[in-house]
Amino acid sequence: MTGLAAILPGLRLLFAMAILAAVWLVVLPAIGRNPAVDRHVRLMESRDVNPAAMVYTELEHLPLRPAWIESHLVLWPTGN
Amino acid sequence: MAADPGADARRGGLHEDSAAILIGVALVALALSIGWSGRPTVDAGSRKAFPKGWPNPLAATIDKPQTWSEAPKQALVVVDKKDPSKVKPVSIPILLGMTWVVGVLAAGTLMRGRSLPAVIPGAVLLAILGGLAYLMAAQKVINYYNLEYPLWALLVGLVIGNTIGVGKWLEPALQGEFLIKAGLVVFGAEVLFSRLLELGLPGLLTSWVVTPIVLVVTYLFGVHWMKIPSKSLCMVISADMSVCGVSAAIATGAACKAKKEELSLAIGLSLLFTVAMMVVMPPFIQWAGIDPIVGGAWLGGTIDATGAVVAAGEMLGKQLDDKRPAEVAATVKMIQNSMIGIIAFAVAVYWAGWVDRDASGPKTSLVAEAWRRFPKFILGFIGTSIVCSWLFTTSPELALLVDGAIQGFTSRLRGWLFCVGFVCMGLQTIFRELAPTLASGRPLILYCVGQALNLALSLAMASLTFGWLFKQVVTP
Repeated sequence: MTGLAAILPGLRLLFAMAILAAVWLVVLPAIGRNPAVDRHVRLMESRDVNPAAMVYTELEHLPLRPAWIESHLVLWPTGN
Repeated sequence: MAADPGADARRGGLHEDSAAILIGVALVALALSIGWSGRPTVDAGSRKAFPKGWPNPLAATIDKPQTWSEAPKQALVVVDKKDPSKVKPVSIPILLGMTWVVGVLAAGTLMRGRSLPAVIPGAVLLAILGGLAYLMAAQKVINYYNLEYPLWALLVGLVIGNTIGVGKWLEPALQGEFLIKAGLVVFGAEVLFSRLLELGLPGLLTSWVVTPIVLVVTYLFGVHWMKIPSKSLCMVISADMSVCGVSAAIATGAACKAKKEELSLAIGLSLLFTVAMMVVMPPFIQWAGIDPIVGGAWLGGTIDATGAVVAAGEMLGKQLDDKRPAEVAATVKMIQNSMIGIIAFAVAVYWAGWVDRDASGPKTSLVAEAWRRFPKFILGFIGTSIVCSWLFTTSPELALLVDGAIQGFTSRLRGWLFCVGFVCMGLQTIFRELAPTLASGRPLILYCVGQALNLALSLAMASLTFGWLFKQVVTP
């Protein structure tokens, strides 16, 4: 293996890491300052919504039966 | 996710599935017993007093990076929403979270009769890479547009695997399938059957009628009409699109022994469509004049990811100044979440009994053959689900115990196990193998066709149940 071939994988990794760092540290923060994106983020934060939740247990608030249909549906003992 | 987990048994250790079951069940039992030992003495059965269940002492031992916008160091503190000057550092719980993953890998290694010293250095590196993936997923733009951590865990693994490759010293620690199986057994605690009835009959009909139909039709369309060679790819795409995105893809992918590349592809497709649907559907519902509750049920039944469903419901609710769409959307999606166990079990039975059958092999009974091929860890997944569902319905106190154990510990641990599992998958993924299928565009077409059917049937069922048959029940 020649000298260049030996260090090529490392250079590729460094290049990929540089791109990822630029995206996460420069591009995404800049996108986050866009008014429309900022509005979306603020709306989600103000409502305690975690859009990245994979399942309901990762949500900030458990989606229990809505209070406005509680009187119609009594199925399980979920507390007082 | 296909491998040879039986090799461990031949070495004198436990089978991979048995180790995953034992570790997963032990962790759930630990969370429940520690939660019980610290039970509150006042208002123990009051959900108003404990909206997230009883506080679980294990919560202090595990966390993940918090959302950040400008500098990654913001991910290491929790800022009080009411008083931003109050901050709580979470570096230690994050480090402990990584330690739990190393511990699970170490315990699994010992149970499977493998060399522990050979695994530990790699396990530590994988846990750090999992932390990096979580940090990437916590960037606010990424987080609030629902690009979940599995995508970044795969990316981290792919970047390393396709540049410097995987060193020999790291190979013993690359136990992605084991981590995902153990994570699924722990995940079973979150799949509570009792949640299925949270919205009564209308919620049940919207989820239980449409979801299985869409899943089966999409799968059959992919296999028989589009002639996609890999049945497991068709199943994973069908499940993540029709049930609940990434979590369903992981569970069914493990049940039908899908390849790593297939699972990665299905998750990528699901997340891209989720972002688009989350942004487009709320304004469309408003533009089309669809009833807000029907619209909420439609969002819950169609958008893949749970968080994105709630986000879309909130966006719709804000446009209409009505909180009901978000509530209905979230609850319908939660009902779909609760179906994962049953769907994964059904897929595992179908795969073991019919798809994987070796026609040229020795003639044994269908049941014996199916049992031999059945992925046994699914029994652990179903087992923790049944036990926690039973506890949940036994009394208000035990319901709060289960919720506290899930919210405080098992859900976070499951996230770490999946995250590091996906890093392993990324490191081992060879996308070249999928190149012919990808180039044909057939997975994308299958997803689009299935989602179109899902959108049509879900709207029809939501209109029928929430908009007509049970309209009075869901009207305040």
